[in-house]
Amino acid sequence: MKEIITIVFRLTVTCLLAATVMGLCFILTSNAKKYNEHAKEQKVMYELLGYKGDVKVPDSVAIHEVYRYVISGNDKQSIGYLLPQGHGEHEGFLFVNIDLNGKMIESKPVELSEADSFEAESRDAAVQNTVGAAFSIRFADRIIVVTDDGTRIAYLIGGKFQGFKTFVNVMLAVDPDFTMVGFEVLEHEEDPGLGAEIEQDYFKNQFKGKPFEAIKSIDVVKAPIPSDYLAALNGKVSEEEVLAFREKYKSRAIYALTGATISTRAVANGVKGIVTKFAYRINVLDKVLQEQQLAVSF
Amino acid sequence: MANDKSSMQLISRGILSENPIFKLALSMCPAVGISTTVMNGFMLGVAVLFVQVFSSVTISIFKNVIHPRIRIPTYTLTIATWVTVIDLVLAAYMPEAYAKMGIFVKLIVAFAIITMRLEMFACKESINDSFWDGVGMGLGFMVGMMAIGFVRELLGSGMILGIDVLGFKPLLFFILPCAGFFVVALMMAFFNWIEIFYKRTKGLK
Repeated sequence: MKEIITIVFRLTVTCLLAATVMGLCFILTSNAKKYNEHAKEQKVMYELLGYKGDVKVPDSVAIHEVYRYVISGNDKQSIGYLLPQGHGEHEGFLFVNIDLNGKMIESKPVELSEADSFEAESRDAAVQNTVGAAFSIRFADRIIVVTDDGTRIAYLIGGKFQGFKTFVNVMLAVDPDFTMVGFEVLEHEEDPGLGAEIEQDYFKNQFKGKPFEAIKSIDVVKAPIPSDYLAALNGKVSEEEVLAFREKYKSRAIYALTGATISTRAVANGVKGIVTKFAYRINVLDKVLQEQQLAVSF
Repeated sequence: MANDKSSMQLISRGILSENPIFKLALSMCPAVGISTTVMNGFMLGVAVLFVQVFSSVTISIFKNVIHPRIRIPTYTLTIATWVTVIDLVLAAYMPEAYAKMGIFVKLIVAFAIITMRLEMFACKESINDSFWDGVGMGLGFMVGMMAIGFVRELLGSGMILGIDVLGFKPLLFFILPCAGFFVVALMMAFFNWIEIFYKRTKGLK
């Protein structure tokens, strides 16, 4: 009996010690880690839009962040969007609450500065104030609308889906017709040499240029990539040829990674899910905005 | 330095006579699964090296206060703590390295080789020796992984370190996970054969 108590006590102390070390380390590094993740996200955003390396982003290109919230209360759920109405001097936010059938419940201005909107805490508080204490809110996701001189050129959508081991965190870029512009893997834990190949250009480029119709019925085929197509995917041929290949393969299935069919399927289905849901949501939102004549910045 | 000789001995023992992969046949899961390229082998080797050295030293420091009945949970906790700490520190202060190393570090927790070295060596020997043993075992693991990766990358995709050397792909089979078993087994046999041959010529045994 005495030994059991000693063992329990020692094991508890060991666990507590380990937890303390890990906790301290987490506290000390969390700020720097968040900053790095944010910096990476910014970089990925611009790279997806085609502003790589030294290419400067033109001034006419503007980025508008839309935050989606799930509002629940009174046994009902609705979707709330926090929409920017302007930037800089004209900053302001509009909160639009839409029920599950696509009908607008209410729209209200939100008191929130643009700088505060980037911080999850102050943003959540502002949304909570707007909907009132009777409802509970939950942040769902963020959509980024990119405009060039007032016309929309692309949407950037973040998303997570189940991979082979844990979640795969991605960012997708689609154009206003929901044709894939590209996607980037932000975080994953797939096996190196197998599922981790989802990070490689030759895999990601297979999705480039796929129209919405193809994305909706995307499939995975277990076959090696033809060598001429592989060269095009790796960017080893001229720009025109890459485009020709993209056109040729745009409605075909994705070639599975060698030894990682499950990871490939997960990515293909994940991309399909994210894009189709997004297309539905943005259409509903646009319809509401048009019907109600609400002015937003994009 | 008084320990110079023994530290060199400990390192060479980890790489040659007690190589974790070819001699001790431990941690075969990563050896089979990950070693598709030389670079992957190197990355995992570096990650294991750091975790092994830190864990060995930690256990060696606390060897007198660890209750013998709970030593295995303690080892696992130590390894898990170091893996988490390295993961967090890399993510925070070396984002470039983390982008490459992150997935390898997260794999480590349950590696047999690390637990085994803690059980066989670090919980009995001095801190200094444990450190060098950790370095030796980590390097041995890295060398083994790179050797397997070399064979598989060359035969599977015709490349070395991502550079096309053959210009064609001899056997795609070598990239697949099952080929890991064949390569590990054949290389194990090869190294044993060299050792036996070497001992015979030296007239030992």
